[in-house]
Amino acid sequence: MSIVVADHCSKWYGHVLGVSDVSWKLGGGIVGLLGPNGAGKSTLIKMMSGLLQPSRGSLTVYGQNPFHDPGVRRRIGYAPEHEATWDELSALELVTAMARLAGVPAGRADRAAKDALAQMGMTDAMHRRVRGFSKGMRQRTKLATAIAHDPDFLLLDEPLTGVDPRARVDIVERIKQLGAAGKTIVVSSHVLYEIEALTSDIVVIYRGQVLAEGNVYEIRTLIDRHPHRIRVECDQPHAVAAALAAEDHVARLSFERGAVVIETRDPDRCYDQVAGAVLAANVTVSALSSPDNNLSAVFEYLTGDGGRR
Amino acid sequence: MTEPSGKIEHVVPSTRSTVWTLAGITLTRLTRGKALWIGGLFAALPVIYATGVHSRRIAPAPDDLFKISLLLLALLPAMYVGASIGEEIEDRTSTYLWSRPISRGAVLAGKLCALVPIVIALIVGGWFAGILIWTGAAPSATSCVALAAGSIATSLVAAGIATIVPKHGMALTIGYLLVDLFIGALPFSLSALSITNQANVLANLGSSPREIATPLIAMAVIAGLWGAIGVGRIRRLEA
Repeated sequence: MSIVVADHCSKWYGHVLGVSDVSWKLGGGIVGLLGPNGAGKSTLIKMMSGLLQPSRGSLTVYGQNPFHDPGVRRRIGYAPEHEATWDELSALELVTAMARLAGVPAGRADRAAKDALAQMGMTDAMHRRVRGFSKGMRQRTKLATAIAHDPDFLLLDEPLTGVDPRARVDIVERIKQLGAAGKTIVVSSHVLYEIEALTSDIVVIYRGQVLAEGNVYEIRTLIDRHPHRIRVECDQPHAVAAALAAEDHVARLSFERGAVVIETRDPDRCYDQVAGAVLAANVTVSALSSPDNNLSAVFEYLTGDGGRR
Repeated sequence: MTEPSGKIEHVVPSTRSTVWTLAGITLTRLTRGKALWIGGLFAALPVIYATGVHSRRIAPAPDDLFKISLLLLALLPAMYVGASIGEEIEDRTSTYLWSRPISRGAVLAGKLCALVPIVIALIVGGWFAGILIWTGAAPSATSCVALAAGSIATSLVAAGIATIVPKHGMALTIGYLLVDLFIGALPFSLSALSITNQANVLANLGSSPREIATPLIAMAVIAGLWGAIGVGRIRRLEA
């Protein structure tokens, strides 16, 4: 049985399109929702958590409309993208209150909140007010509010944003444990490697539409079929370009101020040849980057519209 | 990291439990912020005025002190109820609430249960203390009932306005209630639509139930209308 079923689901904010005609089913496990900022990830998550209603089409969770059915929402744990919380409360007070509002009996809410905070590594700070927390601590507290009532279905909107590397490892590990324990988890991110660390099942969303769905390696293969850009910022861009112009893997060369941008079908070979050209011509390189690491550029390749749509 | 202790049974929380929890959160947040103390200073205005009159042996018209309390009716519900509901929606902390299995009407009720008694205590308390200092005797029961009923009614107005325009909930409520004060001062029947006028009428009546029923019903109708707007609006709100 599918946990989430979106059927030609669209959402507008006035004239702004959030999600466009999405038909999608979620079976279970950990699923990464990948897309650049403004792609529609948060809109889709908000519709699944019952915060928004589709403007057209339908979206059900466990067969019910989460906006109207509290019975479904009791099975959902949601951690929003934004940082705002009730800053005047301590982390323990906040998570306890959220657990109670999620249906945990009064006698068990305190214990459940302490457990959730402990799982997020927040035991030492649980009596401190949220107002003084760092971004990473806020993220952990938000995640604790999402898991304290032991939901079946977790919706985590950008849970790793602003988290320090150590906390990131902890949170990733905890999310994986929850997935292994049978929870269905949707995690959104605009960073591919964050999603890759959590799951191999991804849904790529771009400009409000589900662009691709499946294994992260299939998506990577799809990406690798397209030319890869390498930008070499140096004092002699024309010398670097001349050394590479005749190579069969080079699809295009273009110049920017103090830089050459190489489009290649074989990035590994290209990096080696750039290094050789730089050494041979005694070029001083100030920066070497791949604009394709920007997810939007990758999605533009996937849609084939170069971002002009 | 530790493992969670046991499976938690999923239940939809009762309305009473939701209202109680939200009232507790609202009170805790209020007592840890500045608003309570700022409101307390405003509520002390009748006391300050009465103390000044008393010390200088001036005998102003008896209505002066009540007018200050009516002005507080325009200010304190906006400060507490309007700001609390408006900020919840505007700051998006409401996303935590809307994603829980609770009734949205209960969210509004929880906030009102926490804040309305404070508004009543501040306004009626300020009036009571002011009159006590000025005259040495307690004010009439009807004047206290009038201010208490006015506090409830204006709080519901503030709740309704804050759900419609959360960003400017407090400012618009103050604006609306200042207009209400102006309408209440008009010499024709339009003044019946004014909560502050009804409170003023009620304060000057005797204590027979028949006399006080009319202004109380008028206030209940206006408050009920705004309350219904608030509940209707909050049920449709998206985050």
